Amino acid sequence: MSPAFVSVEDLVIAYGEVRAVDKVSFGIAAGEQVTLLGPSGCGKTTTLRAVAGLERPRDGRILIDGKPAFDGGAGIDAPPEKRNLSMVFQSYAIWPHMTVFENIAFPFRVRGRPTAELKPTVDKALELVDLARFADRPATMLSGGQQQRVALARAVAFGTKLVLLDEPLSNLDAQLRLQMRDELADLRKRLGFTALYVTHDQEEAFSLSDFVVVMRGGRIEQAGRPQEIYRNPRTRFVAEFLGVRNIVPCALANGGDEVRLEDGTVLRGRDVAPEAPPDAPAIAFRPGDVRLDDQPGAGQGGSGIVTRSLFVGDVQHVFLRSGPVGLCAHVRPRPGLEEGKTLFWRVAPEDCLILRK
Amino acid sequence: MSVRPSQKAGRVRRGAGQERLLAVSLSAIVALMVLVPLVAVVIGAFGDEDGFTVTALSDVLASSRVLGNTLTVGLGTTILATGLGGILAIILVRTDTPWRAGLEQLVLLPLYITPLLTAVAWSWLGSPRGGLINLLAQSGLGLSGPLVNLHSAGGVVTVAALAYAPLPFLLISGALRGMDPALEESARVHGASITAAFRRVTVPLALPALLGSALLVFVQSLGLFSVPAVLGMPASFYVAGTEIYRLLNSYPPRVSQAAGWGLLLLVVTAALVALQAAILKRRSYVTITGKAFRPRIVQVGPWRPVLLGIVVLYVLAAVVLPVATLCWAALVNFITVDPKLMSFDLRHFAYVLFTYPKTLLAARNSLVLGLLTATIICALGLAMAWVIVRSRGAAARFLDQVGMMPLAIPPIVLALGLLWSYVGLHWLPIYGTIGILLLAYVTHYLPFGLRALSSAVRQLHPELEDAARVSGASLLGTLRRIVLPLTRPTLVATWTLLFILSLQEISSSILLYTAPSTVLSVAVFDLWEAGNVNALAALSVMQLFVTFAALAVVARLRQKAVAA
Repeated sequence: MSPAFVSVEDLVIAYGEVRAVDKVSFGIAAGEQVTLLGPSGCGKTTTLRAVAGLERPRDGRILIDGKPAFDGGAGIDAPPEKRNLSMVFQSYAIWPHMTVFENIAFPFRVRGRPTAELKPTVDKALELVDLARFADRPATMLSGGQQQRVALARAVAFGTKLVLLDEPLSNLDAQLRLQMRDELADLRKRLGFTALYVTHDQEEAFSLSDFVVVMRGGRIEQAGRPQEIYRNPRTRFVAEFLGVRNIVPCALANGGDEVRLEDGTVLRGRDVAPEAPPDAPAIAFRPGDVRLDDQPGAGQGGSGIVTRSLFVGDVQHVFLRSGPVGLCAHVRPRPGLEEGKTLFWRVAPEDCLILRK
Repeated sequence: MSVRPSQKAGRVRRGAGQERLLAVSLSAIVALMVLVPLVAVVIGAFGDEDGFTVTALSDVLASSRVLGNTLTVGLGTTILATGLGGILAIILVRTDTPWRAGLEQLVLLPLYITPLLTAVAWSWLGSPRGGLINLLAQSGLGLSGPLVNLHSAGGVVTVAALAYAPLPFLLISGALRGMDPALEESARVHGASITAAFRRVTVPLALPALLGSALLVFVQSLGLFSVPAVLGMPASFYVAGTEIYRLLNSYPPRVSQAAGWGLLLLVVTAALVALQAAILKRRSYVTITGKAFRPRIVQVGPWRPVLLGIVVLYVLAAVVLPVATLCWAALVNFITVDPKLMSFDLRHFAYVLFTYPKTLLAARNSLVLGLLTATIICALGLAMAWVIVRSRGAAARFLDQVGMMPLAIPPIVLALGLLWSYVGLHWLPIYGTIGILLLAYVTHYLPFGLRALSSAVRQLHPELEDAARVSGASLLGTLRRIVLPLTRPTLVATWTLLFILSLQEISSSILLYTAPSTVLSVAVFDLWEAGNVNALAALSVMQLFVTFAALAVVARLRQKAVAA
């Protein structure tokens, strides 16, 4: 990566004995977006808030635009208002006692800019998020989606180079979330700011970011470009988190790229971490990559009895069992997937990951 | 993410710089305010010119009659006021009794009429000789003896309970409203009758509020001054509060014995507060949230008039009758039950305003004290509330505990401690000025402000402040631009309540005032002691008028705020 615009080094944040963030390091190149992805309590929001200056780390370093914002060794801890960044909060944090315009003008006001100077910029920001006609409304008289746009406009209007986003879409309903996701991508493309984004939603993470950091228990589990992480989750945790629902215990055979399931089925797959010790080997594949047939045919796989078959709309979730082995397939709904049937499942070797722990 | 300690507790980790300075300086101020007089009481109780002694304390413990009286009044008032408040709360929150909304406002009114005035009015109505009820009974029914005698333990307890019932009413009705009706409904669905559900679910859930309000009333009534002074002293019925007053006003003043009483009251209330904390620690009631639910209204059918009657009777006894008596006495030429002798004019008002020398001075002092007390507590309380809610350091815990401590200190004991600390203190000559009264008021009423403002700050999403910080505002800028405007409604309401409470304060004022620093409530009490009943009534009516005018202004402001 090019010299990082933001660099987080060995960050430690602790509450008493509990380490919420434990030696986390990553960088963000200028103009790129890095997303911290993980389940509740993994430390992603705490990390983001530390970058903002809203949490006080115990140790480590945070550099923003080459300047130290926090340095545990040197005793530097710049207050949030001196870090020259902006943030979109999960709750939007729209000030209810101000109008829409005043909310967005706030960063200018606290820095003593006169109204004449800030007005055109704020108006432009309002137009950017399509809220120009709401400028004089009390901020509380807006819908959730509109409040979200105000929060966005406030974060980008002042033109800070770094924008932090803390689960900005999680309070919106599904349809609005998709729409705002696209608007967010569009906005960043147009304005070119550097972004640090926090979410627990993998689709959001993949579609918006240049780089994804998967966190677990305060540590980084895996980091990489979206496609790379999606294709090659290196641990069972990352695989599960990214929706790889079939993680079947197995024994390694033939030097590692072939495995034997407990019902005797032999599968080939990609060994994503050949150097790791095979503590609890498993083969992992996505339900959508499984094909189901009535007859044995070409390709690798086995057979099983349908124990449960759920129609969920576009796809049918079919659960198969063969002795100790259970798996799930997502296929197009059709007749012949009823419970009690014996079906043959197939999965391509390139869709199979061999996990060692 | 649902569990996020950082967000729940606000900005917890930024202990740096300004935040810490604010927390530490607030802690120092509060420690000086609260702890100094407490230490002074302890020292005063154990020391005289000759050094360490326990005579004062043993004297106190030997006065079994006053001890017994104090306990009788304390327990009696607590049981009666809590029971009354609880019954009123159940009737007005949970039943379909008519006119509940209006009645609820009326039930709260005694908070704004001082217990002193209620006691004075009831003394005129129910004193054994000359009480209007007794006079009427004698002329109407031909009784020879008095019908009622409120100059007695029973009278003190009854009138104190009437005056203090709104406190338990407030706490218990709050608990009833904060209770998810689904809890009771699920008891019904699982086979409990209305009464069984009430007994097994509602009452246990409201128990902390019940205990809390009982304790609050008990602490108040242990150190009670005004009611026993008016209704008890004429019958030589002394309790701790009036005993302290008597000891200090005897010649020579028996200060150390008074301090002994103060220490005793302190120890008892502190022990009770600790006991309550220990009881409540073991059970946590997450079922009672800050959220307001729509309580399930029970159809009481034929009982409606009975329940309505109970509430109306309370309002009559605690509000209408005392206020009417005061107004009547302020306007009538002299106290009599013979209508032929009565004539009405404004001469008592004229006397109080233009002739009685203390009125204007007392009014000015009271006004200044009210303004300053309310303003100082709002400023101090908001800063303290912010530190308490938004940080988790030792300073926050200290502020919370010490700031709420005055709730457990009877004001007369606080006054005693202040006397001990500041009389003859040359580098801080506040004794003899309203400065020492101000200190007493601010300390005594701080918990009221702190509690209201803490809950206001707690309702502010911490991200509203975070957003200001990352937008470039400093800590003080954030407090000024975000916290202050968003807590303004609570600030206005709290300010008014504190202003009104300060106008009424007597328990500490009676010990701390001097001729130039006299206040309205003391002037009223002086007129009482001088037997100048009509002037007293006129002054009281004016005091009530100012109080209700202030309330009306706030109600108006609040309406405007809602409309805007």
